[in-house]
Amino acid sequence: MSRIGVFVCHCGENISRTVDVERVAREAGALSGVAFATDYKYMCSDPGQNLLKKAVAEHNLDGIVVAACSPRMHEKTFRKAAQSAGLNPFLCEMANIREHCSWVHEDREEATAKASEIVAMLVERVKKDKKLAPITVPITKRSLVIGGGIAGIQAALDIADAGHQVVLVEREPSIGGHMAQLSETFPTLDCSQCIMTPKMVDVANHPNITLHTYSEIENVDGYIGNFQITIKKKARSVDMAKCTGCGICMAKCPQKKIPNAFDRNMGMRPAIYVPFPQAVPNTPVIDRENCTWFKTGKCGVCQKVCGPGAVDYTQEDELIVEKVGAIVVATGFELYDITEKPKGSPIKGYGEFGHGKIPDVIDGMTFERLASASGPTGGKILRPSDGKEPKQVVFIQCVGSRAREKGISYCSKICCMYTAKHTMLYKHKVHDGQAYVFFMDARTPGKGYDEFWRRAVEEEEAGYIRGMVSRLYQKGDKVVVMGSDISVGVQVEIEADLVVLATAVQPRQGADTLAQKLGISYDKYNFYSEAHAKLRPVECATAGIYLAGACQGPKDIPDTVSQASAAAAKVMTLFSRDELEREPIVAKVNEKNCVACFYCKKVCPYGAVEEKEIRDRNGNLIRVVAYVNPGVCGGCGTCQATCPSKSVELDGYTDEQIVAMIEAL
Amino acid sequence: MNSTNSKLTYSYYPGCSLHASGKEYDISTRGLFKALKIGLKEVPDWLCCGATPAHNVDELLSLSLCAKNLSLADEVKGDLAVACAACFSRLKTTQHRLADNPEKRKQVEHAIAGSVPEKKVKHLLEILAKDYGLEQLQEAVQKPLSGLKVACYYGCLLTRPPEVPELDCTEAPTIMERVIGATGAETVAWSHRLECCGANFTLSRPGVVLKLSGDILASAKAAGADCLMVACPLCHGNLDIRQKEIEEATGTRYNMPVFYMTQLLALAAGVPAAKLGFDSMMVSPLPLLKEKNLL
Repeated sequence: MSRIGVFVCHCGENISRTVDVERVAREAGALSGVAFATDYKYMCSDPGQNLLKKAVAEHNLDGIVVAACSPRMHEKTFRKAAQSAGLNPFLCEMANIREHCSWVHEDREEATAKASEIVAMLVERVKKDKKLAPITVPITKRSLVIGGGIAGIQAALDIADAGHQVVLVEREPSIGGHMAQLSETFPTLDCSQCIMTPKMVDVANHPNITLHTYSEIENVDGYIGNFQITIKKKARSVDMAKCTGCGICMAKCPQKKIPNAFDRNMGMRPAIYVPFPQAVPNTPVIDRENCTWFKTGKCGVCQKVCGPGAVDYTQEDELIVEKVGAIVVATGFELYDITEKPKGSPIKGYGEFGHGKIPDVIDGMTFERLASASGPTGGKILRPSDGKEPKQVVFIQCVGSRAREKGISYCSKICCMYTAKHTMLYKHKVHDGQAYVFFMDARTPGKGYDEFWRRAVEEEEAGYIRGMVSRLYQKGDKVVVMGSDISVGVQVEIEADLVVLATAVQPRQGADTLAQKLGISYDKYNFYSEAHAKLRPVECATAGIYLAGACQGPKDIPDTVSQASAAAAKVMTLFSRDELEREPIVAKVNEKNCVACFYCKKVCPYGAVEEKEIRDRNGNLIRVVAYVNPGVCGGCGTCQATCPSKSVELDGYTDEQIVAMIEAL
Repeated sequence: MNSTNSKLTYSYYPGCSLHASGKEYDISTRGLFKALKIGLKEVPDWLCCGATPAHNVDELLSLSLCAKNLSLADEVKGDLAVACAACFSRLKTTQHRLADNPEKRKQVEHAIAGSVPEKKVKHLLEILAKDYGLEQLQEAVQKPLSGLKVACYYGCLLTRPPEVPELDCTEAPTIMERVIGATGAETVAWSHRLECCGANFTLSRPGVVLKLSGDILASAKAAGADCLMVACPLCHGNLDIRQKEIEEATGTRYNMPVFYMTQLLALAAGVPAAKLGFDSMMVSPLPLLKEKNLL
């Protein structure tokens, strides 16, 4: 005979306003197997928990039902209290009479009756609860960081500084990401390279960081604490160990007319190249698509001139396997491309803006390169068509962002600030120039941000025009901007020398493919989803995978760095123990009954179900059954609901328990 | 001409303008279709589509007028060919509006005492570019318009609003350029091909029209065009009939003939110039056509 204790919470007035809690306690006391029942104003408070502990000892309770809020809120609290009273924590259950009852009903009589029934159900379930012990999983204390922009760099450095090994994987030949492309950064106008390149060097020199540039994630296996990552190192055609970075190969390469992607195609680069002079590592790669040797088999100049003999045309892509315990995803963003409507893009295109047909219509990142001291013009603002200094520049905000009718409804967050910055940089370099900005609203909610924006408007006299632009067209050597000024209700036409579009921030191409490899979720725009928007903002729903930076949503540098450090802290928390304790609410397979249909494997959202071979003592295969890896199982119960032969059961939610609950109704 | 052409046959809704101020659009359409051996039969007893005023006053009236025309058109074989951009827009809008609105459809069917048929409404451009095909159009050219620089002017209604006409891309259409390009004419890239001409303000606020249509002429001229090509009688009115006034107001001489698209196409297809209504254009195209050896 069980001795169950029932504790009914008032939750201040949250429950007692609609539910007669005293009556619920009284009725619970009369249930068979219930040895003690009471009510209290705040069960979760210190006196409330003490009440529970005392009752366990006094009444020799062997099971507890706390009738209060959702288990999401305080299940852990009460299980801990039960444990300190000497009870197995998994013999403590919560009856949700707040979210499921008092909050959603008005009639006191009916709500009270329902609360009593919920309690009765849980009492029946507790009777069939088993003592469970937490599962422990060993942790590999190495981590993987995907993406070598500022987010990945910050996360990698933080984890490495804490003494843990980090594997940093970057798709491009150099780390640095978009931040290395920027000129000055808001709101302090410090030079992006000056604060970025030292960090890049730190990454390269850190004894705890293994850097794989020009590499991509090929495959991800395993689970929290025990991931196995296959990385594809693309053939660089240059031996990193031998190369001294002297640059003679780049200087002598006869092919020099390849648009420089780092400079937004404004400058040219050779076929053997580093993306930019401050690149880390400072080892060139051969762009095989454009290299004469790889196209025709003739040339070979770089190999001839290379002193250390580092150029190696025979290099092949290489697969390497790394074992890690945690993953930080920091793949960043890209800007919506104005030159053409990208295939599969959710944006419907900007035909009315000329779609990149007008040479002096550029995007924000291109302007950054024009303004950057390391850019194609050495920091002079010169327009692409004829290299003249533009005297009237029009900036257009929200191109693609916040435009539901164009396919993207979210705000790209950084453009208000970087456009304000652009107007300043422009004015600092072209004193007699005039900048106009077409905007919808100025969204500058950050430390020092609004002051920065006001400075652009009030001190630098950027002409802010509230309104949208309908069309751009070329007229002689000018670009005519047709727009409206809704604050005075007139049509505006400006003949600009240069137009800069603040285009939408989008996730990297292929973000969805990577998410599928990692088993993490993403939204309709391919931004990665956090586990909880407010309380778990850097974790994925998949355990052991953390997010940093603009892969989760548009973010500026301060936010990105904060989140990267937060993700690193989460990794360190995980690594602070040798073994990982997991809740034992996991599914188990009854191997005798399992018919190996593997429906459970198909439906498992965590990929926890494996195929297990059963062999006799001679090693002959008898049959194959399903096996749930407890380290991966999320305890959702989908397998249990799907299994046609009733061979899978979730601990704490067995069929027997569910039936007992139904019968208590 | 191969035999497949005879299979192309359409019911034809000219609309009021084509029987009045835009007669040359009507006769050149008939001439062109005859030359291309595409069947065209006018819908009997058709009525006004309501054009731009009706839907501003009473939506049910404007939908019912078009619904009635659709039901009349259903008596003639083939998809419904429409020349006038405004008629095209109203007919398509009606279908679009009724497609997912059973309540409205019921009201309209009550008003016209009959059902609204599923009749395909096609603009001439669509028929020429898609049904007939550009290659075949190219083959049908007897007098190539090579050397003629044409500025294709779309106006407001051919491609807007985006979800209704489904003719071509709303913001960057090319269908007019493609069709006239098949005749060997040269099309110019110009800025104002999608801007409004001033539309109905031609009577109430002509000043607006002088400015908007003036900009269109100026930009076509700046792009080096010899002439404009339109598919809307209202645009034609503003750009051709008002051209002299625009010239006086702006002090610029344009002398820019404004052709209906079918006039140029029919000319290329070998229809005699005398049957294309060139004499009823305010800005005479004859000197230009002579200069280009097209007469």
